[in-house]
Amino acid sequence: MSEQLESGAPTFLDKFPDEAAVVRAALWSSFIALALGAVFGLIQALHRTDVLRLIDSTDYYTVLTAHGVLMVVSFTIFFLVGLFTWATVRSFDRGVESIRYTWTWYGLMVAGTLMAVVAILGGFVPQTDISADVLFTFYAPMQAHPLFYGGLAIFVIGTWLAGADYIWTWRAWAAENPDERIPLQGFMVLTTMLMWYVATIGIAIAVVAFLLPWSLGLFDQINPLLTRTLFWFWGHPVVYFWLMPAYLLWYTVLPTIAGGRLFSDPLGRVVFVLFLLLSTPVGIHHQYVDPGIAEGFKTIAMTNTMFLLLPSLLTAFTVVASVEHGARQRGGTGLLGWLRALPWRNPAFTGMMLAGLMFAAGGFSGMINAGMNINYLVHNTIWVPGHFHLTVGTAVALTLMAATYWLWPQLTNRRLYSRPIGLAQVVIWFVGMGLMSNAMHVQGLFGIPRRTAEPQYEGFDFVASFGSVSELNLQLAIGGTLLFISTMLFVTNIALSAGTPKLSGIGQPLSEPLSTVDDSPEILDNLKLWFGIALVLVVLAYALPLASIIDRGGLLGPGVDPVPMIVEPVAATIEPTLGRLAAAVGSVVP
Amino acid sequence: MNIHNYEKIWLVLSMLLIIGFISTVVYGATAVGIEMVNDEGGTIDSTALDEDDRFSEPRVEKVGEDEYEAYVVARQFIFEPNPIEVPANSTVTFYVTSPDVLHGFEVVGTNANAMVVPGEITELTVEVNEPKEYGILCNEYCGGGHHTMEGKLIVVPEDEFELGDSNDE
Amino acid sequence: MVPTMSGENTVREIGHDEFDPKGTLVLILVYFGVLSVMWVFMYFVEFLGNDLTVLV
Repeated sequence: MSEQLESGAPTFLDKFPDEAAVVRAALWSSFIALALGAVFGLIQALHRTDVLRLIDSTDYYTVLTAHGVLMVVSFTIFFLVGLFTWATVRSFDRGVESIRYTWTWYGLMVAGTLMAVVAILGGFVPQTDISADVLFTFYAPMQAHPLFYGGLAIFVIGTWLAGADYIWTWRAWAAENPDERIPLQGFMVLTTMLMWYVATIGIAIAVVAFLLPWSLGLFDQINPLLTRTLFWFWGHPVVYFWLMPAYLLWYTVLPTIAGGRLFSDPLGRVVFVLFLLLSTPVGIHHQYVDPGIAEGFKTIAMTNTMFLLLPSLLTAFTVVASVEHGARQRGGTGLLGWLRALPWRNPAFTGMMLAGLMFAAGGFSGMINAGMNINYLVHNTIWVPGHFHLTVGTAVALTLMAATYWLWPQLTNRRLYSRPIGLAQVVIWFVGMGLMSNAMHVQGLFGIPRRTAEPQYEGFDFVASFGSVSELNLQLAIGGTLLFISTMLFVTNIALSAGTPKLSGIGQPLSEPLSTVDDSPEILDNLKLWFGIALVLVVLAYALPLASIIDRGGLLGPGVDPVPMIVEPVAATIEPTLGRLAAAVGSVVP
Repeated sequence: MNIHNYEKIWLVLSMLLIIGFISTVVYGATAVGIEMVNDEGGTIDSTALDEDDRFSEPRVEKVGEDEYEAYVVARQFIFEPNPIEVPANSTVTFYVTSPDVLHGFEVVGTNANAMVVPGEITELTVEVNEPKEYGILCNEYCGGGHHTMEGKLIVVPEDEFELGDSNDE
Repeated sequence: MVPTMSGENTVREIGHDEFDPKGTLVLILVYFGVLSVMWVFMYFVEFLGNDLTVLV
């Protein structure tokens, strides 16, 4: 309780009020997406398990598209840019170079999100020809309204500019501090953004060169395997883009909250460098059972993927050791008895620890997903969403929510509305996800598919090797309901915090690592070198598969017609679309 | 850079784990003989499946002693032929393609599970044993009727099997 | 046992050289064991024991 208060130190808001406003705006954008996404998630959990069907099964896919895009694009990435702005400004201890520039990229991201969301929600309105029932993966030749692709492109451009903002701050700082090592949080932000630049090459080409002009009718045909492969070029590293904010918090905030110090700064840097190098040349592991890609390319992707486990396994050790250090400083003793000495009543601490525990479980199902031939067992079954609800859905989401309980007072100079509600919220999330994810994993092993409105078939039944399908459905529905309740508690708690009295001197400085950066070789901070190697690895992993796919199917495909998820001819909708775009941009850029 | 001894132990164990995983998969690929769906199925003009001898009439064909080929079209929102009938104790190679969007081809409760991409032909070979009925479902979202897309694979006793049974309709 | 301190203070400072995370080592070894057993179960029982494996 009082540990967060009355330290007398200035908060982030005290030192950088302009930047704090951007961070709060980004976080609110994130939380709004989270709340909406949770509503759609609840509808799905009840619908596919046949507990309660409020919508037509055709609309399920509109709901699913909205849930996916809002959660893994808007919620995670808005939080990321907010957190990274905080971490950059805090760790370099200087404001951004131009606050107008900072607001501009935020505005672009909002505009892009609104465009995509309008396109998706148009799917509910039969009177309009706008629709984008193509799910988060938007595999061609399924076609969405151009507004969807355009929104996505603008959103990504916003994130590129955000990355440039962090680099700008870093270069300005480096000019004044030529002999200093990059502070750890700044290092994590920069390596993550460099990884993002490598990763988004794939999505930029897929959307700008193929999908957007194709949806505008500039050409009719497309090579579906090419755009799918480009999607996964981005689609796997994006999961690390979601994860890195959680890692940043585990490495730099969790040890302080636990009462300890980070075990090793240099190993933290090694981990982030490994993610920069290995996150992208692995995307083909999402295509293990695709035709048109040789087994050799799949094997290379698997090997890279397996080595990508290394940074996460190292993180598990470093983070737990830092927490143990905190426990022992707080008087904890014994081989495992120190676990009792930890601040379990603090929702920020407990939330992050529960998130980490679930990540350990999600790590296991991820190892199965990475195994090439065992993919036949689980590919596109509900096992896969079971997996990523543990990773992005808990390791990331729960960490971000828990960290907000710590971060929000630093951004507002106000106490959290209720710590007990916060504690209940993180525990409810853990229990809800335990139920839901367990049911999903088990059902997946029976062959029950993901992304399906009614996984109840006429001609056959699923054979449950243990439990029963209906029992697991109930588990899934209860879990989904708890997750919805937890989300609402979180958002309400943060919203009500605005009504608590202003405080002063509640800043909480972060503790220094035990093993500091001075112990590490300077080459670790050579970001140009790592960026260059990352690009080379991507070329090695992707040049031949992409060449082979283009050679087989042509750049624009061997006669695959678009299958629009929109009814009207596209040309008739371009003009109103551009009008809406202009309006959306105008309304959000301050 | 000083790394704690415990962390060195963990680093070694992590590498062992990773190498263990890769070795298991390689064992499956070589000793067990599991093949990944790959680029050997070839390509096809997805707008002209009716001009292709195999897919103009989706069916099962006998190609050798106890060896059969099934030419399957996955389209919004059906599988053809349906049901797919094959005799017990035979080797069956499925050739699956799509004239419209991406689909999944999953024989429910088995390891026969692959993507179907327009323009590409998915080729996968399995061995069927006793007579049994399997469900088939599409596990890649393919449009508003995706959840209705299902079929059947029926393994019939060898003495009851007749070619052509499965492509009557 | 931990004294009840709502202030949650540090009761002692532990530096780099006097800290061996032996509890962490135990936990992580348990995790290693669980991962190995579960992997073997999933690969050899659930996967290789399953019907219709795709063969060359």
